[in-house]
Amino acid sequence: MKTTGMSREIEQHRFFDQGITATGLARSFGSVKAVENIDFHAEPGRVTALIGPNGSGKTTLLLMLASLLRPDAGTIRVNGLDPLAEPRAVRSMLGWMPDTLGFWEALTSREILTTVAALYGIDKARAKVRANELLDVVGLGELADTPARVLSRGQAQRLSMARALINDPAVLLLDEPASGLDPGARVQLRTMVRGLADSGKTVVISSHVLVELDEMADAAVFLSKGKTVRSQSLAEAGAQDRRYTIASLDLAALRAGLESNNLQASYLGNLENRGGSAKLKLPGENRAAQLLGALVGAGIPITAFAPSSGLLEETYLSLEDEMP
Amino acid sequence: MSISTPPRTAVPASKLGYLSGIGTVFGLEIRQRVRNRGWYIMLGIWFVVVAAVVGLAALSVGLEEVGPGQMMFELVIAFVLFFGMLIAPALSANSITGDRANGTLAILQNTLLTPGQLLWGKWLASWAASLGFLVVTIPLIGWAMTYGDVYLPAAPVLVGMLAVELGIVCALGVGISALANRTLFAVMVTYLLVALLGLGTLIAYGLSMQLVKVEVQVSEQVWPEEYQSGEFYGTWDEENYTCGTRLYPEQSFATERITWLLAANPFVVVADAVPQAPAPADEQMFNAAGPMGAISEGVRYSQAGPKSQIPCLNGVKSVDPPQAQNPGPLWPLGLGIQLLLAAGILVAGRNKLKTPAGKLASGTRIA
Repeated sequence: MKTTGMSREIEQHRFFDQGITATGLARSFGSVKAVENIDFHAEPGRVTALIGPNGSGKTTLLLMLASLLRPDAGTIRVNGLDPLAEPRAVRSMLGWMPDTLGFWEALTSREILTTVAALYGIDKARAKVRANELLDVVGLGELADTPARVLSRGQAQRLSMARALINDPAVLLLDEPASGLDPGARVQLRTMVRGLADSGKTVVISSHVLVELDEMADAAVFLSKGKTVRSQSLAEAGAQDRRYTIASLDLAALRAGLESNNLQASYLGNLENRGGSAKLKLPGENRAAQLLGALVGAGIPITAFAPSSGLLEETYLSLEDEMP
Repeated sequence: MSISTPPRTAVPASKLGYLSGIGTVFGLEIRQRVRNRGWYIMLGIWFVVVAAVVGLAALSVGLEEVGPGQMMFELVIAFVLFFGMLIAPALSANSITGDRANGTLAILQNTLLTPGQLLWGKWLASWAASLGFLVVTIPLIGWAMTYGDVYLPAAPVLVGMLAVELGIVCALGVGISALANRTLFAVMVTYLLVALLGLGTLIAYGLSMQLVKVEVQVSEQVWPEEYQSGEFYGTWDEENYTCGTRLYPEQSFATERITWLLAANPFVVVADAVPQAPAPADEQMFNAAGPMGAISEGVRYSQAGPKSQIPCLNGVKSVDPPQAQNPGPLWPLGLGIQLLLAAGILVAGRNKLKTPAGKLASGTRIA
C-alpha cells in the first residue's frame, strides 16, 4: 500500500480493494454526455456483464476503466489502484479487448502477440511461449504465421482476445467479444471466460447478446443513457417476475385452466386448429413449476411451457417498460 | 487449457525499459514498411529517375574541361533533398493518424509504452525509411566519385546534412501526425510546413527586399584604354578595372540584413554547412559546379550586401567573390530554427498522446 497512515481506511474497504470499483463516473464529449452517473463494481472471480442499449455509455465506461479516458468526475479503483494516478501500474494487470478490431495487417498473428508482449516488458523467450499457448487456446494455431490481414472477422476477434490475455491480466475488460463469432466459437468463448473468472480474474464483459450473458455472467450492471439503472446478480434475476409462454393443443382448455388459477394472460389462437398459446407473468420459478403441475394434472394438453426470454433480457425489457 | 500461469506471485512485476520500448515500436513500424510491395516499386522508380538525370548530367557537362563528377554528385544530393522533402512527409505523417484510424493506437497506449517512446520509435522508423531513398542512390554517388573531381572533404558533410534534414522533416511529420486526427490533414500540414521552409523562406526573402532598399554612393568603373578600342582581341578580364573618384547615389539592397530569412531553408542549411573547395589556381574557372555550390555561393553574395552588387562602392573596388569580410556560417541558425520547430511540434504531440486522455477533438474516438 502506498500510504501507511490510511491503513485503517484501507482495512475497511478491503472488499473494494480487489476487482473494479467505480463511483459517480461522468464523462462528456463536447455537448454529448456519454456517461452521466455510473456506479460500478466488479468482483474478482466473477463475470460481470455490462448491459445497455447502443449509446448507453458501455464503451465509454470500459475506456475509462482501461485507463485510456479521463473521467470528468468520479473515481475508479482497479485492484485498489487509481488509473489516473498510476496508469502504467494499472495497465500491467489489465487486459482490454476493444470493440473495434485493430491490427497491424502486415504482421502475423504470432508477431502481433510477441510484439504486444514485448511492450509489456515480457522477455522474448517467455513471450514466445505465451504467444504459442494463447494461439492454441483461441484456436488460431494453424493461422499463427499468416498475415493478420487474411483473418476473418471471427478469427480476428479471437486474436484480439489472445492479445488482451498476453500479459496474464488480473482484470479483463471485454467489449462485445462475441460479435462476429460462429456458434462453436461462442461456446468456446463462454467456457474460456468462465475459466478465466474461475481462476480468480475479474472479468467485465459487454454484449448485446443477452441470452449468451445469461450463461456466463454472475452479475449484471444495466446502463441506460449514461446512468446505472440497476445492478443485480443472476440469482436475484431468477427470483423476479418472469414472462412465460405456454402452448397447448386446446386453447379453450388452457384459458379455463389459467382462469381457475386466477392468472391474467394474453392469448393467441392458431388459425388452422383449436390450439394456441398464452403469455403471462409468473413470480419466480417455484410458482412456474407449481402451475405446470396443476395444468398437466387437469388434463390440459400442454406442448410447451418456457420462459419467453432469458433472465437478463427479462430485466432489460422490464427496465425499458419503466423508461418514460 | 492454461490461460493463466497459476502461481501469480511468481510473475515478476513487468517493467518496460525505455530503449526496449522504442526498439519494439521501431521494429513494428519497419516490419510493416518492409513488407509493403509498393515501397520497393517506389524505390525502383526513384533509382531510375535519379540515374537518368545524373546520366544526362554526365553527358552534357563532360563535354567541357570541367570534370562532371562534382556536378553529378551535387545533383544527386539536390535531388534526394528535393524529393526527400516530398516523400518524407508522406512517410511520416501517417504514422500515428494511421494507427488511430486502424484502432491500433489505443492498443499501444494500453500497454506500458509511454508517449515519448512511441514518438521516438515512430520517428526513427520513418527516418530510416526515408534514408532508404538516400541509400539506393549510393551507386550513383559512387559513379560520380569515379571522375575524381569530387571535392572529398565536402562529400560526407553533404550526405550527413542531407540525412539530418530528412530527419527533421520526419520529426515534423510524426509530431503533426500525433496532433492531427486525419491522415490527409496531417500530410497536408506537413507539406505546408516543408513548403514554408523550402519556398516560404525564399518568398519572405524576396518580399523583404523592398524593406532593405538603401541608397549608396557609387562611382564609375574605369576600364583600361585598350578595352575601349575596337581592335581588342585579348581576354576580357572582368576584374581589370579601377574606380572613378566622382561619387553619385544609386539604389541598392542591403541584403546582408535579410539573409537570415533564408537560414531555415533546407537547401541553404545543407549547402552552407559544406566546406568550400579552395579556389582553383586558374582564376577563370568557375568554382561552384553543382547546384549545392551555387546555392552556397548565392548565400555568400547575399551576406555581402551591396558590396557584391556594385563594383565600385564608395569609390572602392569590390572584391569578387566577396570573401574579405566573413559574416560566419548561416546553417547553425537555420538548423536551430528547424530543430526548435520540430521539437515544439513533437512536445505538443506527446501531450496529445498522453492517456488517460482528457480533451478529445470532436468526432474522434479513442478506439
